Amino acid sequence: MRSSLFQELTCSSSAIWGLVYKFVCICYRSLDRIFDIIYWPVISLMLWGFTSTFVSATSSVAGVMEFFLGGAVLWSLFWRAQTDVGTFILEDFWSRNVYNMFASPITSLELFLAIAIIGFLRCVLSFAFLSLLAWLLYAFNIFHIGGLALGAFTTVLLLFGWVIGIVIAALIFRYGLRIQVLAWSVGFLIQPFSCVFYPLESMPRWVQVIAVTLPTTHVFEGLRHAIATGELAVAPLLTALGLTILLLIASLLYFHYALLQAKRLGLLTRFEMA
Amino acid sequence: MSLLEIHDLRKRYGAVDALKGVSLAVERGEFFGLLGPNGAGKSTTINILLGLILADSGTIRIFGEDFATRQTAIRRRMNVAAAFTSLSGVLTVRENLKVYGGIYGVNNLNAKIDELLERFEITDLANRKLQYLSSGQHTRVTLCKGLINDPELLLLDECTLGLDPDIAEKTRRALQEFQREKLTTIIFTSHNMNEVEELCGRIAFLSKGEILRIDTAARIKGLIPQQILEVRFQPGEDLEAVRHLDGGFSPQHTGDSTFRFVLDEPETQLDAIMQRLVQTGARIADLQMTRPTLEDVFIKVARGEI
Repeated sequence: MRSSLFQELTCSSSAIWGLVYKFVCICYRSLDRIFDIIYWPVISLMLWGFTSTFVSATSSVAGVMEFFLGGAVLWSLFWRAQTDVGTFILEDFWSRNVYNMFASPITSLELFLAIAIIGFLRCVLSFAFLSLLAWLLYAFNIFHIGGLALGAFTTVLLLFGWVIGIVIAALIFRYGLRIQVLAWSVGFLIQPFSCVFYPLESMPRWVQVIAVTLPTTHVFEGLRHAIATGELAVAPLLTALGLTILLLIASLLYFHYALLQAKRLGLLTRFEMA
Repeated sequence: MSLLEIHDLRKRYGAVDALKGVSLAVERGEFFGLLGPNGAGKSTTINILLGLILADSGTIRIFGEDFATRQTAIRRRMNVAAAFTSLSGVLTVRENLKVYGGIYGVNNLNAKIDELLERFEITDLANRKLQYLSSGQHTRVTLCKGLINDPELLLLDECTLGLDPDIAEKTRRALQEFQREKLTTIIFTSHNMNEVEELCGRIAFLSKGEILRIDTAARIKGLIPQQILEVRFQPGEDLEAVRHLDGGFSPQHTGDSTFRFVLDEPETQLDAIMQRLVQTGARIADLQMTRPTLEDVFIKVARGEI
């Protein structure tokens, strides 16, 4: 396993270029992939925008609009990053291209770097569109929380989104298309534990135990602190970053293990015939 | 040193032994056939060579290097074209070939793509999405992908499946030309016996995960030693003597004046039988010797008769 792990960590710029070119072509040739950059994030923004407008008008809590809309915009970034990894892997399954793709000399590192490049570009597009829409519809400017804080939060959310995406990709290689729904649904499972729209201490004790293990919880706690005080809280940010890096390493090792298992069981060739 | 050396390759799925110690060597520039019934282990062997399946044990050396530890570098110099597989359906033919050209690090990629499209007579399909192509057109695009990096080792798994006879013939010619130009080593599987016989210098005959024999097509056919001699006599001849021919030949009367002889050892029996037939005095109108074909061997292997 060790020698194959080292091989999977080699990298060729031409292979990454080939994969990025494929993902770019898929994006502009497939209406689904264009649509999902804006559709769900816009639905989420409108839902929380109207909710926060109503709550602001009827409650005395300060900064409700900023908490909700800041949470909605940043959550859509995490969701976008997470689903992109799964859907770009699934594209090869849907096209019956798994055989040719994995018979070619691509490594796991090249695959994920290519997905990270295209995923980053799609996240930037989605984030820019949502930020503009939040400003136009609700006069909410997400950049008010500060460039450093925003950069730090978005970096952690992107990385953690990829962590979840890599785990889902590993599960798809191990169990096939029957679990493809995870590519879209895992985000919804994590969201209630991530304190996106409410503080950690407002949740039951047993939920808090789970919530503190998620980097997203620390990001959104930090976001509310930044909105309330105008300052970047370093401790939750470092906790989130540390957790994310640990989980990233674990997810890559799990992906490698799942791919080896799929090869041991001959699953890569069976997906093609399915 | 052979270009490809496989030693004692084994693979088991649960209780099923897919490969039971396959060993073979393929030389540089060889057109090598893998033949056998379904479940013989051909595709498992090819998929292990592509790194898509992990073998349980055994060693593989390609280009003189250990495949287990140098797989990524080795696979850059190989490629595959297989039936039943596809490329990205939403991408055009040219886009798909550019993707794989990038992955394999091909220089002058656009010129290479143009050359391949022309070689397989599908230049007009360059800007069509793959999902709208017929199976025959699709097969030729897969072949273009297989040749995109001028591979030193090319694996072709049922690659002419779905082609009409005319296009299949042109495709075989194109593959032969490519191999001559680039000195590519090709490992070829097909259920079309004539195709295997026409293209492959040597053939490994597999059955139930084992290699029965590696040899030329002519010698593989020797796995069935019997040959059939059919003799048609002039009309009106008295054939009683032929019917009761001595020497243990047991002639079968198959038509009005035609007899069939099964020769277990044709080299020694043919001369004897001809002498005896002449002695009967019956005048012969026509004779035909039928040798076993690769298909005959294939059927006997599939039925467990060899």
